[in-house]
Amino acid sequence: MEAIVISLPVRWTDGSGLEQSLRAGVWPHETNCSEVRFIVPAGCQLMTDAAVRFLSLCNQLDSALRRVIIDFEDSEAGVAGYLNRIGFFDCLSPTIEISPQRPPSSAKVKYKGQNPGVVEIERIDRNRRDTSLLERLTIAISQACGKRTDVKELTGAAWTIFAELIDNVFSHSQTPLDGFAALQVYSRGNCLKVTVSDSGLGLLQTLRPALRSQFPHLATLPDAELLVEVFSRGLSRHGGNRGCGLKGCADRAIKFRAELDVRLPQVRILLVPGTGGYRPNTAYSYSGLPLLWGTHISFTIPLD
Amino acid sequence: MNTMNETGRLPLRDFMAEDDGWGRVAGRETYGKLMPFIERHPGTLIFRVWLKGVRRVDISFASETIVELSRRYRGMKGFCFVDLKDTDQQENWNAAAERSRQPLFKWDEQGSPTVMGLQPTQGVSDALQFALQREVARAAEFAGSSGVSITNASNKFKQLWEQGFLLRREAVAESGGTEYVYARIR
Repeated sequence: MEAIVISLPVRWTDGSGLEQSLRAGVWPHETNCSEVRFIVPAGCQLMTDAAVRFLSLCNQLDSALRRVIIDFEDSEAGVAGYLNRIGFFDCLSPTIEISPQRPPSSAKVKYKGQNPGVVEIERIDRNRRDTSLLERLTIAISQACGKRTDVKELTGAAWTIFAELIDNVFSHSQTPLDGFAALQVYSRGNCLKVTVSDSGLGLLQTLRPALRSQFPHLATLPDAELLVEVFSRGLSRHGGNRGCGLKGCADRAIKFRAELDVRLPQVRILLVPGTGGYRPNTAYSYSGLPLLWGTHISFTIPLD
Repeated sequence: MNTMNETGRLPLRDFMAEDDGWGRVAGRETYGKLMPFIERHPGTLIFRVWLKGVRRVDISFASETIVELSRRYRGMKGFCFVDLKDTDQQENWNAAAERSRQPLFKWDEQGSPTVMGLQPTQGVSDALQFALQREVARAAEFAGSSGVSITNASNKFKQLWEQGFLLRREAVAESGGTEYVYARIR
């Protein structure tokens, strides 16, 4: 197969929307195609979680020597302008082609930090630990949500969530490709999206081999149920007192009734707050998905 | 019993590279600096951890530092917080201690304790409350005060010591025999 084409939807597109587009077409990682063209039609608005996953997917395909083209049908007037603003093109591999053209200058540099509701995509370079990254992300939340009475708790929770998720990328992802972190406050949608994405091994891929010896009763659980265990009990391939990070994230997030979206190489689970902890929303949880390397986690925290 | 209560000050920020304690790797680096400090103070049995200058710690960092020290020295040395006021930070210390099944005490300005992490079982919580209200406690004193047998009181204190809620040392009983004297971690 020479080239495949994947069209993104004409609407606001979050992680679920992106997933639908990927499932509908030919799966780019699984074919021996030489070219992947993504069509971004006029009216397609990518939300932060979808934008970061899309970014990771494009860079993965590029590193797998596919020719990758992103075709923005309404040029910078549409979503490309927004993506430029959040630094999408700064993080995109330079060999990926943009149609009609790559934006000439990065609006991220131009407007950096001026809009408190938007936070640029931050690169997680595993070879260089940027300790100011967490601070930038949390300052953005405190600016965007400064009028809320619980801004301190919200900022503290978001800091912990980012800290643990990004630390996980450093500890586990085992990839030369960069990971990414981003957040955005959607004032109309009354929510805050926190997203961290890496292109390494999936969370369960590193955990499963250790289960047979450490937690044999969990070894046969399907992915969705095992993920619930990871976030509710804390499991680690190293056992002992490890594995508390993701559980801690979930404990913090559930206090804000946050939804938790976890995309692994071929599985996507949406966890929603229930009585006694997170439970999978089966309507939006799938296995056997098109391959997307790595671990991609998003928290959507309602702000009403 | 004076030496049992010898306390030392442990200013955590002095052992950290920056104001935020972020991640397992940074936690291990801090632990590597804390260990020689603890070893240089063999006579100090209780370390009061001061958090002045520490802006935030995440659960992984908390887990690799004070929680790990408490676990390692369980029953021999104790670590407690004396200026932990931020509820957000308390949640992270608590989560890390809980994961390690390690109790960790926080004392407020009025001298009231809060147990983070592992909680005492119902069967020993009365003995713990008794011990927390005094510098040192003996099984015979608790037995006399609560009406349980000395053996029962002794077993409760022993369990609390083994689980890291209390410290203890041998002393000479009034009878001339050996008894254990238990101390709170404050």
